[in-house]
Amino acid sequence: MKKLIGALFSIAIALAVALPAAAATPGGKLVFARYADSLLLDPVYNDANVDIWILTNLYDTLFLPTDDGKDVQPGLATAWQAADDGLTYTITLRQGVKFADGTALTADDVKWSLERAANPKNGIWNFLLASVDTVAVSAPDTITIKLKQPDPVLIKALATFNTAILPQKAYEASPGATDEEKAKAFAEHPLGTGPFKFVSWERNVSMKLTRNENYWRKDAEGKQLPYLDAMEFVTIPDDATRILKLQAGEVDGSEFIPYARVAELKADPNLDMQLWPSTKVNFLTLNVRPTLKDGSKNPMADPRVRQAMNYAIDKDALIKLVTFDVAKPMISFMSSSTPYVSGSGPAFPYDQAKAKALLADAGYGDGLDVTSLALAGSADDTAILSTVQQMWSQVGIRLKIEQVDNATRTARYRGGDFQMRVSLWTDDIADPNEIVSYFADFKNIESMHTGWQDKKVSDLFDASLKEMDAGKRAAQYKEIQDIYMAAPPIIPLYESPYPVAFRKAVKGFVQIPLGNNIFVGASVEK
Amino acid sequence: MPISLRYVVLRLLQIVPTFFLIMVVVFVLVRLLPGDPTSTMIGDRATDADVARINAQLGLDRPIVVQFGIFVEQFFQGELGDSIVNRTSVLGLIAHRLPATLFLTAFAALLAVFMAVPLAFIAALRHDSGVDGAIRSAFQVGLSTPVFYLGILLLTLFAAHLRWFPVGGYGETFGDKLYHLFLPALTLALSLSAVLMRNLRNSIVEVLEAEYVDFARAKGLKARVVLGKHVLRNAVIPTVTLLGLNIGTLIGGAVITETVFAVPGAGRLMIDSIYGRDYPVIQGLTLAFAIVVSLVFLVTDLVQAALDPRVGA
Repeated sequence: MKKLIGALFSIAIALAVALPAAAATPGGKLVFARYADSLLLDPVYNDANVDIWILTNLYDTLFLPTDDGKDVQPGLATAWQAADDGLTYTITLRQGVKFADGTALTADDVKWSLERAANPKNGIWNFLLASVDTVAVSAPDTITIKLKQPDPVLIKALATFNTAILPQKAYEASPGATDEEKAKAFAEHPLGTGPFKFVSWERNVSMKLTRNENYWRKDAEGKQLPYLDAMEFVTIPDDATRILKLQAGEVDGSEFIPYARVAELKADPNLDMQLWPSTKVNFLTLNVRPTLKDGSKNPMADPRVRQAMNYAIDKDALIKLVTFDVAKPMISFMSSSTPYVSGSGPAFPYDQAKAKALLADAGYGDGLDVTSLALAGSADDTAILSTVQQMWSQVGIRLKIEQVDNATRTARYRGGDFQMRVSLWTDDIADPNEIVSYFADFKNIESMHTGWQDKKVSDLFDASLKEMDAGKRAAQYKEIQDIYMAAPPIIPLYESPYPVAFRKAVKGFVQIPLGNNIFVGASVEK
Repeated sequence: MPISLRYVVLRLLQIVPTFFLIMVVVFVLVRLLPGDPTSTMIGDRATDADVARINAQLGLDRPIVVQFGIFVEQFFQGELGDSIVNRTSVLGLIAHRLPATLFLTAFAALLAVFMAVPLAFIAALRHDSGVDGAIRSAFQVGLSTPVFYLGILLLTLFAAHLRWFPVGGYGETFGDKLYHLFLPALTLALSLSAVLMRNLRNSIVEVLEAEYVDFARAKGLKARVVLGKHVLRNAVIPTVTLLGLNIGTLIGGAVITETVFAVPGAGRLMIDSIYGRDYPVIQGLTLAFAIVVSLVFLVTDLVQAALDPRVGA
């Protein structure tokens, strides 16, 4: 079966890599304003979206995520084949690819990059390649990956940022005694096969890129990519200033437009306000352990209380108030852009009577007190919690809000010293395995530190990690979602898009649901 | 000059214990804050094993006394360690970010003085008149408007609408920097100049009524000489002290201004480092700010001594 898919895939490469055939004007420079600067441009050791979301402009992976974020397309690899036992993958590499400095990409670079990414000592993303046993070069244009167990997600992992291919020689020539030190040094002037070539970086001010003259990709009309001659990322942390810069024409695009201002920018004739479907879910995390850190009984240990809390929130009203109607209700704990999502209609539709009945049933007919951590200075946290506070007061849940800074919140949350907090999540891989391992499988991080555990869910999840049959996997993930949502250790609030605004002249930017900012097809029209 | 060398040396020596105290206090205080750099940095998703591994790599699992020993040792080697979040040398970060803050602060102080001194004179010479009232009320507005709000107002009007100035940024050449930093400096200067203006006006009013001024006038000295030599010189002493004391506040205000105007300064770095519990950067920056403030105080004292011979004896 896999062989067949692999063969079909090989046919697909004959066609050009799918990019919209818009009549793009080559040339020009694009200045993009970001809310925060990157920290470490190394695919393996980074741990923040400020890095992950722009890495793909510099580095390529063997496969590339499709624009809808759900599938993959050929990248530095043109085809793959799995052996019948699912334990050996043979991957054919694209020929003639060069790094931005002109040196040729070799199979050794690929082997070395994947081994570095899979090494459990390196960074926090190696779990995505946990199934990999060995990587070998079997021909100048072929690598063979041997697995410890069948892995239905391997090809998608090879389309995820941490498996980007780096030039081994240049990397190893970087100063530093350990791999991490070399990574730091190399990431100061990264070199990859991606559409753009790194030029210079003044931290927290600007990062300059130029087109990679050696880039391998062409558009559907055969025009060389990327269209842009140059790119600059500038860092402007203040939301209002980032928008003013765009309105004044000093930058061509700005990310993270606050939802409160989306309607205003949509109405601006000079701007193109874009809302990209995302895998971003916003929710409240509950502590479901039987006792709280101070030894007192935890009412949220009772699933009925958690269900009541869910039913007592009018999500539509919340979405209007907090996101100005930009977001939509969730149907599961994972986003509707995540593969294998299941659920029929919005989760826990608003029902005060049901909430009251559930609370009475659980012995809290007289109400109960809950305290939530809120991130000091966060407009979203304040808006969400004060709205929930008001809604819950209708059913007798008295919500107290405790403002703390991020480091304090993280420490208390990780230590189980909390009752509730506002959280958000985005997927990094086009598969539900990541979100399920964090949200529902206790052994990773105690189900998002909620303390919730369910043996059936963990067993289903373990089985799904080696299940090669897509239909069976879908059934496994459906059952996981059913069990989880019946005893919800979280309160799903809404899923929200990525808000990015550009000058009207800018075309072809794509932000995929995983968050990657893709400028390969971007152009500035006259 | 009436300042003795002994006075200068004494003042410099006083800075040394202050420094050591700051080093110890900051080192301990940042570690007493709830939260830690590793889990804050790698976020909610990291496993406990990830946190432990990274803590060990960073040496954060060692006893605090040992960590302090390493910090002091590095300090005497002219090193401040590496930033945990930015993963570059702290010294490099400070060298890169402090100049913008110093430039902005100095620019703001100058603007404040240029606005405050002439207006204080006008207000004082016509004290309790309508002009005096108008000047004082206008400055009151500057004093009572929050810095970030004032910044956004100035940006919207002068940068976004009138396009006289750029919307934030720093610039590369000296002239370019003056152009980029004018609005943020003005934002900072408005509240400071209000304080300076009121203070200077009151001192001038007081000095104008002093007997030695009457005497100078009675001697038949020209009004310009009386004002410049007798009135200003005496009235300005408390204002110099005030300006010196306010440099610390100005640096504090720069933190917010730098964020609004996207100036890549040390103030913004300080806030980010505190949020991220980036211990080495917090320590390094605190020391850097301490040096700046101590030097400003020293200069303030010297200027005061030069103006008032009784001080520098």
